[in-house]
Amino acid sequence: MKLTISGEVKEYKDGISLVELIEAEKVQTPEYVTVSVNDDLHGARDFDKITLKDGDNIEFLYFMGGGC
Amino acid sequence: MADYKIDDYVDITDVVCPVTFVKAKIAIEELETGQILSVHMNGGEPVQNVPRSMKEEGHKVLKLNKNDDGTFDLIVEKGEE
Amino acid sequence: MAFSNEQIERYSRHIILKEVGAKGQKKLLNSSVLIIGAGGLGAPAAMYLAAAGVGTIGIADADEVDLSNLQRQIIHATKDVGKAKVLSAKETMEEMNPDVKVNTYRTFVASDNIMDLIKDYDFIIDGTDNFPAKFLINDACVMAKKPFSHAGIIRFQGQLMTYVPGEGPCYRCIFRDPPPKDAVPTCKQAGVIGAMGGVIGSLQAMEAIKYILGVGDLLTGYLLTYDALKMEFRKIKLPKEVKDCAVCGENPTITELIDYEQAECDGVL
Repeated sequence: MKLTISGEVKEYKDGISLVELIEAEKVQTPEYVTVSVNDDLHGARDFDKITLKDGDNIEFLYFMGGGC
Repeated sequence: MADYKIDDYVDITDVVCPVTFVKAKIAIEELETGQILSVHMNGGEPVQNVPRSMKEEGHKVLKLNKNDDGTFDLIVEKGEE
Repeated sequence: MAFSNEQIERYSRHIILKEVGAKGQKKLLNSSVLIIGAGGLGAPAAMYLAAAGVGTIGIADADEVDLSNLQRQIIHATKDVGKAKVLSAKETMEEMNPDVKVNTYRTFVASDNIMDLIKDYDFIIDGTDNFPAKFLINDACVMAKKPFSHAGIIRFQGQLMTYVPGEGPCYRCIFRDPPPKDAVPTCKQAGVIGAMGGVIGSLQAMEAIKYILGVGDLLTGYLLTYDALKMEFRKIKLPKEVKDCAVCGENPTITELIDYEQAECDGVL
């Protein structure tokens, strides 16, 4: 199936879970990343409840603390 | 000039491009649609640019009078906002 | 208020713009913006807002100018090392534009002072470098119904979003709680390219100016991310609202401001 990840269309196996995707995409410090799936936001505590489907649009939102 | 009722007057002979147009623009912004502004300007650059810029902003240039001292008076009607 | 010839010349490139004009320039001169943090983000934001003729600019920071700041905090100069950042920033802004009144607050923001600081300002810019301050600014602006620009920068990356009450999600809608201290690196530990503050801080100033003028589309409901190495800007759409957000949701559980603990290595350098 096709997933759009950070604006890029990629091929992944059917029924991949969000946890598996995070691992495959090598997301750093996933416990502090918010994931947007079709504009719904999910924090780390919800990741294991989510299975992805064909056509999903996924964005990884990272904490960015600097400004100094 | 007697054929138009002038609502406001601005002198832009004391400034140079692009402030010439800016000063005229500020003056016409203060008016209501249909009111008439007279702009007193020097010959040369202002005469070339200010009437054209006024048209581009949607105002109606009614007349450009040349005075004996080489200055000009531009009569403009304010367009829709 | 009529413009002097000097003001007409100073602001001519604004006034010429259809979206600004004399009316817009007057709005800017009559507006007020508070910048929290006179650092990498706050420096360019403050300078562009001062140059633009934002009539009242508040700047809050407790630090003094350090030599290591000068690689990016362009509002301060070598001669300012050791001086209070708010004072150095005020001097630069006043030299740039005598039309601007600068209010200085030599303090870190905390739950007991932030409501008082933001109350008289039209727009707030978050230029802070730590999560406790970022969450505090978000919660205070939500509670006080103040629009603000959030931003963060690190290494070659930056991001920002704009919050306007009732018009989109807040920072806490996206990131529910601050990360544990030292879990996510700050630019102090990880480094940052100085120009990154220039890019993102200038975008914050642009959002403030658009908000004051009431023109164009603000970055509400979006997170803009910038990756300088890939030379890529991405405008990520966010949900219109997050009903269970702890501060701006339907049943907020956060009704008082929180002072989170600072990370070990922040606020000491």
